[in-house]
Amino acid sequence: MALIVFRGGFRTNHLLLRRTFLFSARRDSSLLCTIQQHHQRSRYNVRAESLQATESKTSSKSIQMATKELVEKKTRGYEAIIGIETHVQLSTITKAFCSCPYTYGSQPNTTICPICMGLPGTLPVLNSKVVEFAVRLGLALNCELSVASKFDRKQYFYPDLPKGYQISQFDIPIARKGYVDVDLPVEFGGGHRRFGITRVHMEEDAGKLLHSESESYSQVDLNRAGVPLLEIVSEPDMRSGIEAAEYAAELQRLVRYLGVSNGNMQEGSLRCDVNVSVRPIGQLEFGTKVEIKNMNSFSAMNRAIDYEISRQIQLHNKGQVDQIVQETRLWDEGTQKTFTMRKKEGLADYRYFPEPDLPEVVLTKDFIDQIRQSLPELPEEKRRRYENLGLSMQDVLFLANDSSVADFFDATLENGADVKLAANWIMGDIAAYMKNEKLSINELKLTPQELSELIASIKNGTISGKIGKEILTELISKGGTVKQLIEEKDLVQIVDPAAIEALVDKVIAANPKQLQQYRAGKTKLQGFFAGQVMKESKGKANPVLLNKILAEKLNCPS
Amino acid sequence: MVSYAGVGSLLPRLGWMRMRRPPNPNPRSRWPTRTTTTTTRRRSRSFSSSSPLRAALDSPDVSLLADAARISLSPNEVREFEPKIMQVIDWFGQLQAVDLESIEPSLRANTEVDARTREDAPEAFDNREAIIAAVPSYEDPYIKVPRVLNKE
Repeated sequence: MALIVFRGGFRTNHLLLRRTFLFSARRDSSLLCTIQQHHQRSRYNVRAESLQATESKTSSKSIQMATKELVEKKTRGYEAIIGIETHVQLSTITKAFCSCPYTYGSQPNTTICPICMGLPGTLPVLNSKVVEFAVRLGLALNCELSVASKFDRKQYFYPDLPKGYQISQFDIPIARKGYVDVDLPVEFGGGHRRFGITRVHMEEDAGKLLHSESESYSQVDLNRAGVPLLEIVSEPDMRSGIEAAEYAAELQRLVRYLGVSNGNMQEGSLRCDVNVSVRPIGQLEFGTKVEIKNMNSFSAMNRAIDYEISRQIQLHNKGQVDQIVQETRLWDEGTQKTFTMRKKEGLADYRYFPEPDLPEVVLTKDFIDQIRQSLPELPEEKRRRYENLGLSMQDVLFLANDSSVADFFDATLENGADVKLAANWIMGDIAAYMKNEKLSINELKLTPQELSELIASIKNGTISGKIGKEILTELISKGGTVKQLIEEKDLVQIVDPAAIEALVDKVIAANPKQLQQYRAGKTKLQGFFAGQVMKESKGKANPVLLNKILAEKLNCPS
Repeated sequence: MVSYAGVGSLLPRLGWMRMRRPPNPNPRSRWPTRTTTTTTRRRSRSFSSSSPLRAALDSPDVSLLADAARISLSPNEVREFEPKIMQVIDWFGQLQAVDLESIEPSLRANTEVDARTREDAPEAFDNREAIIAAVPSYEDPYIKVPRVLNKE
């Protein structure tokens, strides 16, 4: 018997890999755990990639809330059932079954060989990284792993699939029965959800087809043919567009944290096919499901699903349920609507059978344990940890969204920085700079040490908050250390009352006219004097001391 | 000579003969109906439908087979092929008589498949010109095919 054994050792039938136990009624309780109440809705959507709101900052929040209310009103009496199939393209160097390197955006038909072109007489050889990545993701999704799984051939006939079949996994996927925990964005009302994972299986991608509008032919680029994918099938546990979008966003976070994929939706490294059906509340059987494709952002997913739900409910309300048919619909960003791509006539018969050219994939306990030990802290664990540090959910979601931001934050804390101050600096000035310059946090010249140094310098009064902001800009763009910048630019805050008094005297003496007006009752002029003193001190005067001394001087003429 | 180990794995490949009866459904098509039955390891690993010892196999629907293979057959040809294909099926069908009750299911025949996997190290194929030259219709940099719009 031919087997691929992943690092010798004993075999058990199935390993239970759940961290916590499932509730008996997981399927019926998609709303569970704590539904957190969030009152701070003041800040707009700061989750850069989680929900790519394209609208302007201020309007987007109100639109989101309005949409949410509208959806709630419209869905009255009905319940939407949503399940998602996600394809994740793995960031291996080579393809799944041949040594062709794959890079997105290469010249068409350059990274090809007889194996991925499906030429006769060639044999596939499995890339070991694919199995490793599948196990990583399977463990991260709290799945049971199949100690022995196999590949199958899925037959379909289309020019993007040169062999005439796709190598996939049918009845024994490498992982199944898992779950994923998500926290809904605060601006959508927040809340914690757990969604079931039905299965994760390994398969190969197909090539790319380009259809021209006018010509009588189509063009094929086989670069992508044979690139490894993991397909993640969810349980039908989602009930709204935002839940579905957040599920997908969590998968993106996971694959990025795990380093198994870049999770880029625009490049097609993360593709979601969403199944949506609607039924009257109380009805046990599911309604007719409709598949939606072609959503290339999480916010598009959210909108497409909510549109589809209301379309189906409208048909229910009009007594036209028979017009909901099993079909694939595409999301059109321009009109913000879904439209029919194709009706499904009967079920496709893929005539699956075991792939005779590939051996079984056998996982040993050692191999699984090794991978489990190498797993990083996952987004859900990070969020719970940050929550326990006392951060608000808004902060928690922002910081845990991107593992490099989270790492930066953690490193800043390790250097002794105050939790809330570190979070504020990262989410404020640093995030704004990253967004403007389109840089990732690792590309900044600022180091976590210097950020914690900066925070400490403000906290102990060495520099003012205002000077801190200036130094930060310098640190981000040019690098250097806080100490060196403070010394070089002579930025140490002036806290010596005598020095401040001298500055105040100088400014008062230079502005006799304003002094006269002030003493004649125009007390608003204190602001003018304060500004002049601050200017004179080059921004270094301690503002509290300054105002205190200034008030004394202005009010009691010596 | 056919070894017993081979028998179990050959049966799944005859899946197309049972086209009219639904085979184990695709897990996707099963969604969202929840199947609560716990399949035994044996059953879940086998592609054969519920009665592996069924003596006679159904006759094929040649028109359907032709459609799946993307070949067009005239009604005369369908009539001509039907008994021939049935002969082949009957020949393989003899395997259905083998008692497999005491046999551990195997995923495939004991063929000499190389069990090694590959490191994730790139190696560009060095004769791209030859494979491109063998493409029947090529217009740099794309392979040209007749206009296709989704047919599943």
